[in-house]
Amino acid sequence: MLIANVHLARIVRPTLNRHLLLALGAAVVLVAISEQIGAYDDYNLTAVAIFAVAAAGLTLLTGLNGQLSLGHGALMAVGAYTASLLLKDHQLPVVVVLLLAVLTTGIVGIIFGYAAARLRGPYLAGATLSLAVALPQIATRYKNIFGGDAGLSVPASAPPAWLGADFPPERWLAWIALAAALVTMVLLGNVLHSSVGRSFIAVRDNEAAAALAGIDVARTQVLAFVISASCAGLAGALFGYWSGVTAPAGFGLGLSLQLITAIVIGGLGSLAGAVWGSIVLVFVPSLTSGMASSLNVPSSVANNVPLAIYGATLVIAMLVAPHGIQGALKRLLALARARWGHSPASGKKGVMDWDDPAPGP
Amino acid sequence: MSRFFILTLDGLTQGAIYAAVALALVLIWRATKVINFAQGAMAMFTTYLALFAIDHGAPYWLGFVVALLSGLLLGAIVERVIVRPVESAPPLNVVILTLGLLLFFEALAPMLFGGQIRSFPPAFSIVGLHVGNSQVAFSAFDAFTLGSVLAVMILLLVLFQRTNLGLRMRASAFNPEVSRLLGIRVGRMLTLGWALASLVGALAGVLIAPTFLLYPNVMDQVLVFGFTGAVLGGLDSAVGAVIGGLLIGFALSYVGGYLGSDLETVGALVILIAVLMVRPRGLFSLQRLREV
Amino acid sequence: MLEIVDLTVAYGPVMALHGVTLTVADSSITAVLGANGAGKTTLVRTISGLVRPRSGSVRLDGRDITRLAPEEIARLGVAHVPQGQAVLAELTVDENLRLGGLWRRDPSGQRRAMAEAYELFPPLASRRHLAAFSLSGGERQMLVIGRALVARSRVLLLDEPSLGLARLVLVQIMARIKTMVHERGLTVLLIEQNAKSALSVADEAMVLHLGKVVVQGRAHQLSSEEGLRHAYLGF
Repeated sequence: MLIANVHLARIVRPTLNRHLLLALGAAVVLVAISEQIGAYDDYNLTAVAIFAVAAAGLTLLTGLNGQLSLGHGALMAVGAYTASLLLKDHQLPVVVVLLLAVLTTGIVGIIFGYAAARLRGPYLAGATLSLAVALPQIATRYKNIFGGDAGLSVPASAPPAWLGADFPPERWLAWIALAAALVTMVLLGNVLHSSVGRSFIAVRDNEAAAALAGIDVARTQVLAFVISASCAGLAGALFGYWSGVTAPAGFGLGLSLQLITAIVIGGLGSLAGAVWGSIVLVFVPSLTSGMASSLNVPSSVANNVPLAIYGATLVIAMLVAPHGIQGALKRLLALARARWGHSPASGKKGVMDWDDPAPGP
Repeated sequence: MSRFFILTLDGLTQGAIYAAVALALVLIWRATKVINFAQGAMAMFTTYLALFAIDHGAPYWLGFVVALLSGLLLGAIVERVIVRPVESAPPLNVVILTLGLLLFFEALAPMLFGGQIRSFPPAFSIVGLHVGNSQVAFSAFDAFTLGSVLAVMILLLVLFQRTNLGLRMRASAFNPEVSRLLGIRVGRMLTLGWALASLVGALAGVLIAPTFLLYPNVMDQVLVFGFTGAVLGGLDSAVGAVIGGLLIGFALSYVGGYLGSDLETVGALVILIAVLMVRPRGLFSLQRLREV
Repeated sequence: MLEIVDLTVAYGPVMALHGVTLTVADSSITAVLGANGAGKTTLVRTISGLVRPRSGSVRLDGRDITRLAPEEIARLGVAHVPQGQAVLAELTVDENLRLGGLWRRDPSGQRRAMAEAYELFPPLASRRHLAAFSLSGGERQMLVIGRALVARSRVLLLDEPSLGLARLVLVQIMARIKTMVHERGLTVLLIEQNAKSALSVADEAMVLHLGKVVVQGRAHQLSSEEGLRHAYLGF
């Protein structure tokens, strides 16, 4: 019995293995769920997975590394347009399309990351803001390639034959998206717990100290940006499959801000938080549109209620719960532990420091 | 009229508006070390309020006053109620807060006023003025735009440099703690700073709406251009912000005129990145990056 | 008269001051001594309102000012001159001085007070319109004292004025302060690590150690009693 326990521990202790096991477990549960639910819910499940991928990358960048990006909606557009262009005239397997989207967006991430490597705080935010507003314009300008305002259509991916002739395509897409999400979570989870992840945090907390400790700050910033950009590219390509059309209107500043809402609600720097936030992002609009139609509210109001809620949520979250859902859960856990374990609960309220930590007495 | 000259005049007028937005951003930055990303959205909202008044029979100038006054009020309320509670929080929190406000206002406007694109009346005629026998590509409205932005800047300059109130505001921005110890009610100075910045933003809103039209997202671009101008000038310098705004106005006019109007925002992005790569703290900034 | 009664201040779980009690009489200089971290700066920051105490009170002429905002306490005539960063470097010398008394809304009185300050500190007069960051350490101290003059402060909380000052300049400044105490009834609380120079000008003195008052009494007593001097003051 003891030997079995030791062996189990040795399997579970390395981070990668732990994450793989978690992912495997989650996969089993999710497949089971998707088998039970209908097409519409599969559709929503896919959306959650897509946002989770993008949010996970962004929370790594902003939460762990302290770089605020307002342009990840535009990076999703890069992934989406890559997928659309690839699929325009050729039939390619899904995995190939996704990988190429990741690659392309990663390259854009490298370029922008290097350009922005020395930017901090508001300057980086402003640069990414410009990216968010400018990139969709390229699509409009070069109509012939990018389809202009109308955009490009994305053919759905057909389920492979071995799943059966009447396997619903929505569930197939859900499985693809969930697989992508799980892979992303495992990879990012490993980064988080590795020395790379620690260097992200070190640079965020005190750049000068990190540099003195031998960390190549510029390289760290670029790496964080590239990883998060690749996630956005993957999410964007999946988004293309999911919505069936890739047009500039879908990737404006609003999308970038929604991603920020997701990671703030979920809790900055937390992968689990990225999932919570994505769930909120997907289900708030369906809830509010349901309420709106039952209350007979005009569309100009109904369409904007989710955004108003996100905006208000961001404001309220910053005023009241800066650590988001994950942070609230952690604090509950800490309080519970304090109650039953007599250990002091920490009362720190800040999300993180852009420059140096808060001055003492 | 040579094309270049026309584009230059156009750039000047647009630049004045971007300079106003840049100034609004820098005013708040210097006072509270916060970039108010919601500045554009707030200006959009006050412009909608002006249009509401005009739709309901008010003469243009009353609508103009409504915009400016509501800007003043809105800035004060936002600072006092929403920003003040988080002023000691890390800067990232406050930025996210302003982003939330941006989302909120951009969603609230269509809910209250409808989402369709509206036209907004200009203060004066937009027909080119006559100089001698020829017609110049510069209208009475353009003159008003330039003039009003200039007037506001001069008034602010006088306020800050020559009055005791301005002195207190500057002190509060430089060192709030020491200012408190000198009996300055720093909180009130901050509220006033935000109110004034929002007033400037509201002015920019009514000046640009005739050209860009009015819809909930219209100020996104203007915010980007104003922010680029502010960054170009170095966020610490009000004069730099104005110069930066004008430079952006010119640059965008030339890009739009010679390369195509769709590429204007891309042009701004390229300029911004190029400048920041060489001077990560802006062109006129006095700060030096901490090098290790 | 400044009365501090049983003041307890904590930063989170860290106790900075334990039940500190002290009375500062009018027209006197009280030196607050002790090692780094003893709580001296915390004491003045609590008096001036920048820090809220956990318990205890601060009374100015009988009035409880414990929970007032710093700007209100300043308007009651309390001038706190913090360590190091007390001048507004980007403003000119003249602007710094003017700030001292703005809240009084008494332009003629203000002008008179500023003239006095310039008379008292000639180096300031010659640098009137220069930005304060161009001043030397000694000149900056003159500026902050001049500012307190212009503010017509009755209570002056000086936090380590000797930092970065040449000995001669320090002596000059302390002499000026002593004059102001006698001529205007100024009350001074002087925080110093340099115990020797502080005791040479002070009337009363107290020593803080780890947030508690360990010694209190007349200044000359503290400097004459060798045991105390060695134990707490390092000389």
